[in-house]
Amino acid sequence: MSWLLTILVFLPTVGALAVMAAPRGLSRWLSAVFTGVVFLLSTWLYIGPMISSGGNAAVFGNVSHPYWVDQAPWINVAIGSLQLKIDYHLGADGLSIFMLILNALLTFLAVLGSGNISKRQREYMALLLLLETGVMGVFCAFDLYLFWLFWEIELIPMFLLIAVWGGQRREYAAWKFVIYTVLGSAVMLAGILLLYFNLGSQTGVYSASFNWLATHHVSGNLTVLGLTMSSQLIIFLLIYTAFAIKLPMFPFHTWLPDAHTEAPTAVSVLLAGILLKMGAYGLIRICVDFMPSGAHQFAWPLAILGVINMVYGGLCSLVQSDMKKMIAYSSVSHMGYVILGVAAAVGPGATNPAFKEAALTGAALQMFTHGTITAMLFFSVGVLYDRAHLRDINAFGGLQAKMPRLTWIYSFAVLASLGLPGLSGFVAEYLVYTGSFSTFPILVGVAAFTVIITAGYLLWMLKRSFFGPLNPKWNGITDASILEMTPLITLAVLVLFVGVFPQFMINLLHPSLNNIIQTISGAVTASGR
Amino acid sequence: MSPTLIPLSSNDMWILSPEIAMTALALLVLSLDFLIKRREIIAFVSVFGLAVPAGLLAWIESTPNHPVYGFYGMYTIDNYAIFFDFLFLLIGAGVVMASYDFVQRYMRSSGEFYALLLFSLLGAMLMASSRELITVYISLELTSFPLYVMAGMLRKDIPNDNASSVRSTEASLKYVLLGAMSSAVLLYGMALLYGITGSTDLGEIAVALQRGFSGGPNSIVLLVADTFIFAGFGFKISAVPFHMWAPDIYQGAPTPGTLFFSVASKAAGFAALIRVFAAGGLLNAGSFYLWGFIAIAAVATMTLGNIVAIAQSDIKRMMAYSSIAQAGYILVGFTAVAYQPSNQTGISGMLVFLAVYVITNIGAFAGIIAFANATGSEQLRDFDGLFRRSPALAFGMILCLMSLAGIPPLAGALSKIYIFVTAWQEGGLLPWIVIIALINSVISIAYYIGVAYRIFVKNPPREDRLRVSAAISFALAVSVAGIIAATIFFQPLLNFGVSGAQALLK
Repeated sequence: MSWLLTILVFLPTVGALAVMAAPRGLSRWLSAVFTGVVFLLSTWLYIGPMISSGGNAAVFGNVSHPYWVDQAPWINVAIGSLQLKIDYHLGADGLSIFMLILNALLTFLAVLGSGNISKRQREYMALLLLLETGVMGVFCAFDLYLFWLFWEIELIPMFLLIAVWGGQRREYAAWKFVIYTVLGSAVMLAGILLLYFNLGSQTGVYSASFNWLATHHVSGNLTVLGLTMSSQLIIFLLIYTAFAIKLPMFPFHTWLPDAHTEAPTAVSVLLAGILLKMGAYGLIRICVDFMPSGAHQFAWPLAILGVINMVYGGLCSLVQSDMKKMIAYSSVSHMGYVILGVAAAVGPGATNPAFKEAALTGAALQMFTHGTITAMLFFSVGVLYDRAHLRDINAFGGLQAKMPRLTWIYSFAVLASLGLPGLSGFVAEYLVYTGSFSTFPILVGVAAFTVIITAGYLLWMLKRSFFGPLNPKWNGITDASILEMTPLITLAVLVLFVGVFPQFMINLLHPSLNNIIQTISGAVTASGR
Repeated sequence: MSPTLIPLSSNDMWILSPEIAMTALALLVLSLDFLIKRREIIAFVSVFGLAVPAGLLAWIESTPNHPVYGFYGMYTIDNYAIFFDFLFLLIGAGVVMASYDFVQRYMRSSGEFYALLLFSLLGAMLMASSRELITVYISLELTSFPLYVMAGMLRKDIPNDNASSVRSTEASLKYVLLGAMSSAVLLYGMALLYGITGSTDLGEIAVALQRGFSGGPNSIVLLVADTFIFAGFGFKISAVPFHMWAPDIYQGAPTPGTLFFSVASKAAGFAALIRVFAAGGLLNAGSFYLWGFIAIAAVATMTLGNIVAIAQSDIKRMMAYSSIAQAGYILVGFTAVAYQPSNQTGISGMLVFLAVYVITNIGAFAGIIAFANATGSEQLRDFDGLFRRSPALAFGMILCLMSLAGIPPLAGALSKIYIFVTAWQEGGLLPWIVIIALINSVISIAYYIGVAYRIFVKNPPREDRLRVSAAISFALAVSVAGIIAATIFFQPLLNFGVSGAQALLK
């Protein structure tokens, strides 16, 4: 055991307890220290292996052989015909590492960016830290049951964060969030049980360890309510339901605009930046890797739903007048890229595996891209909202005269979001489009309109609120402070860096994703489709 | 057998020693109450006196090859009984600590309450160990009678509720009447069973049923006997449709009494239910109809409990329906056992779930009692903003409620997964019942999180700080620590439950 992952997961919990125990005045500093330390430690996940291997990214390994492992036996029963084994098994390969670092970074920035929270600050900070524990756990759990346990930890902190510190309709939004999430995780548990017992009875080994599940796939058919389907497809659909809700995929997306709009700024940042990625991560890591032929059978519907997400989310964004709601729908649209990329990776046709890997890499990069860029958008809107207490796009106008700094960084975020070459958004979208074109040419043709729609709503919003003649109402508005600019600039640097040097991210992801692609092609060849 | 006095061996006395110690303790508490009216001493003696039967139990358990059967097979101290005995002793300690202030303030009689509680636990311990129908019945009555009295012990109205002492008396009366009826039903079932098999000994019943009997497995008489026995115990565990008493009596009884009903009566009911049905071979001999009856009861119990709980405005009523729903989850395990009687997994799932439920419910009720002590209210709406009035109390309560709701990673979630897994792996119709149970878990979130929502999110009516006494804080803290310990060290608990289940089906 290296303990690093354990520390990353549970240090925030310790922080939450410390924050609750410490005097009120210290809560902000204390939580900044804890999240800061977690972030610094998380970077070692990347730096450590790189140093020890002399810069060879292959060292990060894949789902079967992750570089970082923390493992201890936890629950193990074998009586009668029952074998239940749940290990405390944490692991991190390239795909996990990059989500773990993103989570640590965004939580740190969210704490820094929560200076405007004066109401019950101590509890707020403690809940942010608890949230971090849950999400860290999701990204490094390497046992399916453990994954499910961590998956649900996030529920209560997020619910309370929206319900207490949210906007006007916070109660409605918080409850909607809970209902969707809990339904999803109940269905996921049913899927996990089905997978565990079917695979166990087929192979004779009952294990929910990722190593095992990635190399041994369930086979055969299952009959449910008189309907016979392949086991993999049923399990895929059950488990994916939870991820589809989290992603969110059309038609399960309706909780997102409410939750995003009502949540306080930093929580919106975390929602968009991290929580949606849990769904995407689960789709790639669990659904695709453990049920490859189930995913393969579902590739067409997945691709179509992904394109609906992209186009429909974009069209919804066009008509929003609330800035936050517009960004929320743009999240729906952007997460569609992830779905399309994954669908192409598992999709039909004997296309060159390089294209498939490009699509999957694009999907994974889109997770990062969307996380950072949407975080920037939400932070910017938060700055504006703190001053104006309004988010109505049409109520502003010509703000660039009074807020040059914010205008600059906001425009940067907008351009990154619509995929300007040289910034990270472009890399991800380009890879998704290129990778999926040969598999779904017509769908990609339709999806390409998203680029135009995205540019439309974002630039139109920018024009209406920041450019043009200054609305005299906002004569007294002040520009973003240095503290407010800190998270924005940090993220901007990251977005620019990945946009210019995407290769280092691609190298990090390559060992994990390549392994998944091989799994898929193996399964597809075996099933003869 | 001629009606002569049957000689008892020293072995019999040894395996009965925990119960003898318990009797002595209860009598001591009763006489202390009579001699010195000092509540702190009485409570102290009650809690620490429990160490004697616990020590004896541990001694017996740790002795290799200790005698398992006594009194000619009528009585046993196998791992199954030991599991439940420890659970009952834990309940005793928890309830005494949680009730310490409440008893003084609203019941005006500390010694009686504690003595009744100990007698009831004595009955519960006997229930877990009995291997003979008459003994089961007598133990059941010994468990129940103190409960009837405890339900009516609220002598002084709770400040915010002028009719509470009247309602307590009413609850007591209802409890006696319904309890008597359920006993009658149980006895009827036992009589029918005796008629079929010619024995009241569970082992002999199992043999007789296996050997075959007139009518065969589909015999109507056997089915009626099974149903009546299930109904009799179903009353104790508040399984639908025998749950009607629970909400009224939970609400009317003094809150420590309610806590005690919700854990002790339920655990004792399950202890006897499982033993009679599994060790008595009723499940083996049972037809598909019996399985169907149990399955329907399980589904109805959890569904009704969860749905009705949402609409409650009194926290004790809500907890009553919550406890009904939890009984439903345990019955899911029982459904699996009924489906495949030779399998011990379902029983181990039930035991583990029950243990976690007991620990958690003690904590949740300790919170409710502490709140009632400080504010004089048991209405759900008065819990608004509790977090700001007493963060520690609120934190403890939220944690317990989340564990009851089965929110990971708390022990409640683990035990729930375990019992569902044990049911799921039986195959057949069981996965569908588990899916219904999962849907129920989702529904239950509404009211458990609903309370957490009130506690954390809503604004408090007053900004004052609530005073929570040391005893009850300790009870709550122990419960929270227990939940966390059961989460991290789930495996030892599981082993204990598995050994209990294996002992039962040896």
